[in-house]
Amino acid sequence: MLSRGIISNFRTPTFPSPTTTTCKYSISDEDLESRGFFLRRTISDLNLDHLNSVFVAVGFPRRDPEKIKLALEHTESMLWVKYEKTQKPVAFARATGDGVFNAIIWDVVVDPSFQGIGLGKTVMERLIQDLLEKGICNIALFSEPRVLGFYRPLGFVADPDGIRGMVYSKKQKKKK
Amino acid sequence: MLTHNVATPSSLCPIVSYDCYRQVSNRLLFPHNLNHEIWRANRKLKGCRLKASFWESIRSGILKNNTAQIIEPPSTLEEEEEPLPEEFVLVEKSQPDGEVEQIIFSSGGDVDVYELEALCDKVGWPRRPLSKLATALKNSYMVATLHSVRKLPSSEGNEQKKLIGMARATSDHAFNATIWDVLVDPSYQGQGLGKAMVEKLIRHLLQRDIGNISLFADSQVVEFYRNLGFEPDPEGIKGMFWYPGY
Repeated sequence: MLSRGIISNFRTPTFPSPTTTTCKYSISDEDLESRGFFLRRTISDLNLDHLNSVFVAVGFPRRDPEKIKLALEHTESMLWVKYEKTQKPVAFARATGDGVFNAIIWDVVVDPSFQGIGLGKTVMERLIQDLLEKGICNIALFSEPRVLGFYRPLGFVADPDGIRGMVYSKKQKKKK
Repeated sequence: MLTHNVATPSSLCPIVSYDCYRQVSNRLLFPHNLNHEIWRANRKLKGCRLKASFWESIRSGILKNNTAQIIEPPSTLEEEEEPLPEEFVLVEKSQPDGEVEQIIFSSGGDVDVYELEALCDKVGWPRRPLSKLATALKNSYMVATLHSVRKLPSSEGNEQKKLIGMARATSDHAFNATIWDVLVDPSYQGQGLGKAMVEKLIRHLLQRDIGNISLFADSQVVEFYRNLGFEPDPEGIKGMFWYPGY
């Protein structure tokens, strides 16, 4: 469903596997930087129109940039990857919550042109680590069925102990 | 904490009848201003404006069988554009000795953490550090509470107030809200109060234009939330948790 555009002068980098046990991430910050990918944790440097384009490219409905700004201003943790060459965001993830007990991860996206090289894992691993460092140990998310396999290796379990994720639907007929 | 077992009434009947005196019934519609020691500052009480249809539904019930009823707004109110009052009386009942008990709903988030801790104990939840509990409440987008207020007509101004229910929601203020920590005092379960509280919370969120309201339900309360309009695994979307410690 996504057209994977290939940038002609862009070669898929092969990130080396971590050789040292001190590197807690699959791909280190240094490896990322050496290939032109820079990590960011705030919205200060983030072009929301570019971010919106990435959302649309992966299939999200286009949302009002003002609302996106409002959402990000009230997001306790976020992580995104800036591609040096274009200065654009190519991967993004954020988490909302109460800052002490619970966090939910939303809007995990990787620009289709940059998928398959580990950037999704990059943002997720670091976002989880940031949340853990705040003492939050209840980390949840809602996963589309086709990406359950992306979240499982990261440590996510669906419906643990029979707990079900539920979403409110205005159209849902209420039983009396 | 994950959404826990709330009222799971065997019959989800929202209308409960209590014996009451007819002159007391009018007070169902007036906002109740509570003065009490609280952890957080009191929010200003907004005016209580209720639609005529609402009043009629209460009045017709009262005239029919001389009883008070839980205020279960008719479904026509779902498209209501008037802001919901922040605090209002959900149900009122009178004892033969003249003592009146009101159940008050509030979305103002005035929660005494010590009272909340006691309530969590009552439903059997593990203890959490009070400071963290306070921070969690402060960082929540909306905190809905149910309080029981008891007073005797003889003791003017002297009333007993206690927390009997709570639900809170975190949000990014724009797109998503997630409901956590829904609980009702076991002595008050089975009366439709949990249902009413969550319904009001949802309505407040919708009025603030938060389109996506979600929660994680223990298996035994999935039906409870389904009856409130929640759908599990919509379009196959699954709730996932990171290394849940079970």
